[in-house]
Amino acid sequence: MHLLILIALYTLLSQSLNLSAGFTGLISLAHAGFYGIGAYTTAILSTQFGFSFWLSIPLAMLISGAIAYIVSLIALRTVEDYFVICTLGIQIILFSIMNNWMDLTRGPLGIPGIPSIHLFGLSLDSKISFLTLSLSFVAIVWFVLRNISKSGFGKTLIAISEDEIYSQSIGKDVYFCKIVSFTLSAMFAAIPGALYAHYISYIDPTSFTVNESILILSIVIIGGLGNLAGSFWAGAFLVLLPEALRFVGMPDSVAANMRQIIYGLILVVVMMTGRNGVKELFSKKVTA
Amino acid sequence: MQIFLNTIFTFTLYLIIAVSYSIIYYPTKFFHIAHAAVITSGAYFVFFFVNEFSISFPLSIALAIVAATLVGILCEVLVYRRMRTKKVPILAYLIASIGLYIVLQNCISLYFGDDTKIINTKEVTIGNQIFGAYITTIQITTVLVSIALFIALNLILHFTVKGKSIRAVASNPELCNIYGISSNKIILIAFGIGSSLAATVGILSAMDTNMTPTFGFNLMLYGIVAMIIGGVGSTRGLIAGSLLVASTQHLAAYYIDTKWMDAITYIILILFLIWKPLGFSGKRLKKVEV
Repeated sequence: MHLLILIALYTLLSQSLNLSAGFTGLISLAHAGFYGIGAYTTAILSTQFGFSFWLSIPLAMLISGAIAYIVSLIALRTVEDYFVICTLGIQIILFSIMNNWMDLTRGPLGIPGIPSIHLFGLSLDSKISFLTLSLSFVAIVWFVLRNISKSGFGKTLIAISEDEIYSQSIGKDVYFCKIVSFTLSAMFAAIPGALYAHYISYIDPTSFTVNESILILSIVIIGGLGNLAGSFWAGAFLVLLPEALRFVGMPDSVAANMRQIIYGLILVVVMMTGRNGVKELFSKKVTA
Repeated sequence: MQIFLNTIFTFTLYLIIAVSYSIIYYPTKFFHIAHAAVITSGAYFVFFFVNEFSISFPLSIALAIVAATLVGILCEVLVYRRMRTKKVPILAYLIASIGLYIVLQNCISLYFGDDTKIINTKEVTIGNQIFGAYITTIQITTVLVSIALFIALNLILHFTVKGKSIRAVASNPELCNIYGISSNKIILIAFGIGSSLAATVGILSAMDTNMTPTFGFNLMLYGIVAMIIGGVGSTRGLIAGSLLVASTQHLAAYYIDTKWMDAITYIILILFLIWKPLGFSGKRLKKVEV
């Protein structure tokens, strides 16, 4: 049950990143930062101000989106790998804010005692009900993202990822579209953040490090850029992998490293073969 | 005075990282993230040789530099070179090298464990006093070694055939191939030099403080920041970049708080990317910005 919830959370995370990384081609390493903003916003609002989940989730999305908007104004002046390095910097800044701003986030001590979610007077503290809730969020987000990708705006984003200068030449506002896509992607990342905070009921900055960002990015890439269903399968794969390793008799400490080694290897192989995700590794030829 | 000495020490350390990074970046034009693992592996190989085979300390250092250089070269031969024949976009290299970094770093964690290791066998001394400030022997060695390496490398790059070839490949790989300079071979040499410098820095830094399997990553990022700030392709830019990063970090540590050192480094980077995206030197990095 715990694993299914994790799969749901990682699906949400990777699908939201897929909007900017997959469709628009903005490979971002700051996603765990926005995930963290979502988690911290709800944690602070619910423990200190007693906000309910339904109020804090839109607020978390707004705050995450606002920060992403400001950040994207700056970061999107750079292109390609400079953009990646820039988002890496942003990720580290966000992390050090979470880790060091003691008054707001209690730093490395984390925020304990986040209440569980109440829905129509019912408390959702059993795992099955929480799973239902997260799955419904997955369904909503998946639906919204699918519609965005099918819409004219989504088509523009794909065009930008394929040829930026050409898209600009036919009158698309590339800079604006990138900002919107980056901001939306960060807003969606706040949802799993808020869910995570309520689910674990305790958060600390170590859940939102650079490594987490890299993990999310590798889910997206393994699943295939611009492939929402692929993100779901890759998320499921990476969550279940440690269990599989434990099943073949590997001790936990080794399994954690083995998992990372395996996904690192997959990442290298996918990139070396130049295909778009594992799914298309053996089928049609796609240039990333 | 203490701040000044610390700054000098960090400055030389970052300078060599920036140099080792940029020598790979010039001809290949992508961010070799796995470089961080090379830095780390240098230090861990010393630990490995000293503890497993009880080889003497100086010899272990030499062996470790060779071994770490091999790691760097293997990255190039096994992964990047094959990608280059396929003409994949530049971002694919970056992602592949992130994957490589994850693999290498976890191999180190798997073998040595995640806890902090110390390779400096000598007992901790209070350090030498210069003008009322303290500096340890290791730090002095670092400063001297770094400056020597930096000068040597610049001589190589500007006055030997191989060095000139590296710069030639950096400016136009295809034209070099036409003139009979094999760009693959030159890139391999660049990886060799870069990785051995990185291993040296890793060892020095691990001797100064201590090491964990991830310590190379931060060091490398400071190197990248220094390189971007300095502007790619300029020696003076690299000096200025590393100096700026090192001094800001120490001033921030002194006047604000040590915990904000990282954040401030990246704020400088982002400020630079906004106002002076080409760095101090003003040389164009690559392609036109859209």
